[in-house]
Amino acid sequence: MGQENFHYIGQHAPRKEDYRFLTGQGRYVDDVEVPGALHACFVRSPHAHARIKSIDPGLALKIDGVVAVFTGQDLAQWTTRQRMAPPIEGLQPMEMDALPIDKVRFQGDPVACVIACDRYVAEDAAELVQVDYELLPAVTDMWQAMAPGSPRVDDALPSNLLSHQQASFGDPSARKREAYRVVESTFSMHRQTHLPIETRGCVALWDAGRSHLTFHVGNQVPHPYRTTLAARLRLAESQVTIISQDVGGGFGQKIALYREELVVAAAARQLGQAVRWREDRMENLLASSQAREDFCRTRAAVDADGKLLGLELEIVEDFGAYSFYPGNYLARVVAMILTGPYKVQDYSYDVRVVLSNKVANGPMRAPMAITSWLMEGTLDAVARALGQDPLAVRRLNMLSAHEYPYSMATGEVLEDITPRQTLDAAVEAIDYDSFRRSQKASLAQSRYLGLGICTVVESTTYGSKFYKSAGIPGSGHEAAWIRIEPSGVVNASVGLGPTGQGYETSLSHAVAEGLGVPLTQVRVLLGNTDIAPYGMGSRGARGGTAGGGTLVLCARQAQSHVLAIARHQLGLAEDVPLRMLDARVQRKQEDDWQDTRLSLADIARQAYLDPTSLPAGMSPGLEFHQTYDPPPMTYSNSTHVCEVEVMAETGAVHIRRYVVAEDCGTVLSPVVVEGQQLGAIAMGLSGTLFEHVEYDANGQNLTGTLADYLVATACELPHIQILSMHTPNRRTPAGIKGMAEGGVMGAIGALSNAVADALAPLGVKVEKQPLTPMYLRALIRAATVSNKETA
Amino acid sequence: MSETGLRELTLTVNGRNHAVRAQPRKLLADVLREDLRLTGTHVGCEHGVCGACTVLVDGQPLRSCLTYAVQMEGHEVSTIESVATKGRLSVLQQALHEAHGLQCGFCTPGIVMTFEAFLRQHPDPSEAEVREALAGNLCRCTGYQGIVLAILRAAQQMRTEP
Repeated sequence: MGQENFHYIGQHAPRKEDYRFLTGQGRYVDDVEVPGALHACFVRSPHAHARIKSIDPGLALKIDGVVAVFTGQDLAQWTTRQRMAPPIEGLQPMEMDALPIDKVRFQGDPVACVIACDRYVAEDAAELVQVDYELLPAVTDMWQAMAPGSPRVDDALPSNLLSHQQASFGDPSARKREAYRVVESTFSMHRQTHLPIETRGCVALWDAGRSHLTFHVGNQVPHPYRTTLAARLRLAESQVTIISQDVGGGFGQKIALYREELVVAAAARQLGQAVRWREDRMENLLASSQAREDFCRTRAAVDADGKLLGLELEIVEDFGAYSFYPGNYLARVVAMILTGPYKVQDYSYDVRVVLSNKVANGPMRAPMAITSWLMEGTLDAVARALGQDPLAVRRLNMLSAHEYPYSMATGEVLEDITPRQTLDAAVEAIDYDSFRRSQKASLAQSRYLGLGICTVVESTTYGSKFYKSAGIPGSGHEAAWIRIEPSGVVNASVGLGPTGQGYETSLSHAVAEGLGVPLTQVRVLLGNTDIAPYGMGSRGARGGTAGGGTLVLCARQAQSHVLAIARHQLGLAEDVPLRMLDARVQRKQEDDWQDTRLSLADIARQAYLDPTSLPAGMSPGLEFHQTYDPPPMTYSNSTHVCEVEVMAETGAVHIRRYVVAEDCGTVLSPVVVEGQQLGAIAMGLSGTLFEHVEYDANGQNLTGTLADYLVATACELPHIQILSMHTPNRRTPAGIKGMAEGGVMGAIGALSNAVADALAPLGVKVEKQPLTPMYLRALIRAATVSNKETA
Repeated sequence: MSETGLRELTLTVNGRNHAVRAQPRKLLADVLREDLRLTGTHVGCEHGVCGACTVLVDGQPLRSCLTYAVQMEGHEVSTIESVATKGRLSVLQQALHEAHGLQCGFCTPGIVMTFEAFLRQHPDPSEAEVREALAGNLCRCTGYQGIVLAILRAAQQMRTEP
């Protein structure tokens, strides 16, 4: 499965972005020089839940260099409230002020903003702002949130149940009754955070003369962000420019308009002076955006061989205190795509999303991350319950190539995916049978080796039809322009907001391919709303299909225009095949492509400087624009296999081998895609082993430093072996599918399943992440005690 | 600008002397970035864990977010801006480019500074030694695989073409 029909797509070229980053010449938000800019610092709640009785900025204002202290009351005059109320059944509407006025809802909630001459002074003054709070009981656990009489996180809502959706397809209850066994499994995933190495931050410049706001911020979706920011400041969209140059990682944390950013923008406008804010790491850990924290239960009805007859899913997600996104936004996708590559039509789900006094949830790289662990962990549980081989149970239930396109029970259609191929390739690479032999031999010496398999069907690109059918307002389309300049060099732009993926490189491949010019001749301009066309930005794994796809189409449009000029110039008939390659016009003679005398530069010069010689009726210049709406959903697939050893004495997990076979269709830049695969797997492994945002029973966040919120370093992560496959999607330009989140999904499942496999001989069930030594040791200890008692 | 407690400092950065007026509490990272406009030194955590702010002081890696600028008088500070010569990447920088050892680039200056020093002291490191030294720099994008490969390749190249 190759991608040999392309000239530029798939070329192994190093990245265009690297030089400036390697030499310290990137331009991240805090690098933007603005002489005389004031600095903002936020006063944050020390309590999880409390009424704000009064705020006294008096002492703070006495400090030399302090310009202003703004509160929620001030901001309410200058901004509109956010209302999150898409018409989705079972979803409660939620509203939010620019800064809380009546009460704070989590530890770290901003209550006031100090503006001062520098960041040091602003921080000094923030400590002197006196806020009088009346403490309220906090909701810190999803079960407590749903209990009758629980304190309410949002006083405007009848309860903490923000969203509740159920659906049933076929007859799962009947399948349970007919089943040989019903295997129930539970899965708990802990709260995590995105942790971009560059924290949040922004710089606001208000130009009173032009009535215009220039706003520097690291953001994944610059245009939708502009729409929101302008509306909340009561400005027209033409009065706001968003500039998001280099961004030190996003992973989903840099999508929504945060309250801090809105406050900084409003403050700059009020003061008539530039204001900047750089979040510190503690704020990032305590108050930016968090993710995950789900409890899930599956009930699999199976026959005696382990064949799935029916499946039920329950999810409860702890969503935190506010709705920056609709409450159902993250968990429902899990329910929609759970069954992935497995054949089952009798299926039901029940998804509840609850509010708590914690940081609000947002999408974190693979918002549906738990999906593959749920499905593959369920199959492992089935195999264990029946004494079957887990690989055999997978193969028994997995769809075969001839069954695609396949309509999942939920109606989502899978096509052009190859789970059987990735599964075969990955288990062959790891040598499954020989592992099982060595696992057995090791167990005889009381060594606990385990192997976890996780096949992923990754929903990558959401087209507008998906949004419509899911009842979510919004669009999945993307926009691009291409300008061939008079010298023949190419500028191109698309609405994606890059956060380090290497779009300037990967998207150059798309333009080069569509137009027929070398990569070096293409420059991709991103992250400025005055330059880029209005697109939906970078989220999910849509960059390749939506961004790359739109550019391929736009570049093809440009090529055919250029060739029409060339045909006229060369005096060739319509039926003579022409193409452009390496910025030269070629014609087909017999079976060979022959160079003509024309280059792209010749055509460009003519189009700009000699337009009267163009074909009759053709407009001067070479400017092209294109929008494109991808299919309702595209999918990539992969199989991850992870081998671990668990140290029974300490509970430590050592990853011995890691193999992934991934089919993500046509790959624009193999360099960029490999980087995304490795990075996603690393994030999944790190999250499964270490990363844990912990709140105590009072709602105090215990993980406010990087000494408490642990992430994997180079020492804990394994070498990852990648087997690449490229089955194109038939419905997208060039067969692009998108990727970049499946690695997280697969790593979570493969590692957890491997640890469960290692400890299965002890009779231990691994149902919770993170897989810390403390957790595993407790399981092992309990099992050892109970095994002794049984003996 | 508040003038209280400002102090005159002379800092030697990238081989040049700079006169700076700063409060004694001002961090080296902030003086480099704000007063000298050397913004290649990045601030990722301000508590010495992430390593993005690593600079060399008298040739040794140091966290500029845990150091006051006033402590640096009489020392030689080198930042990422000094590593490439006349626009030519160092062996290590070039290796990071070729092995895709960076994505968003925010942690990259700290990694380059750490390993410019490390490779001078450990010309023939094992992969385990590289990973151990790299554990002081957090990267959220790459999974470290390309970085480790780049460092090992750079070491090999520096040994064969000193």
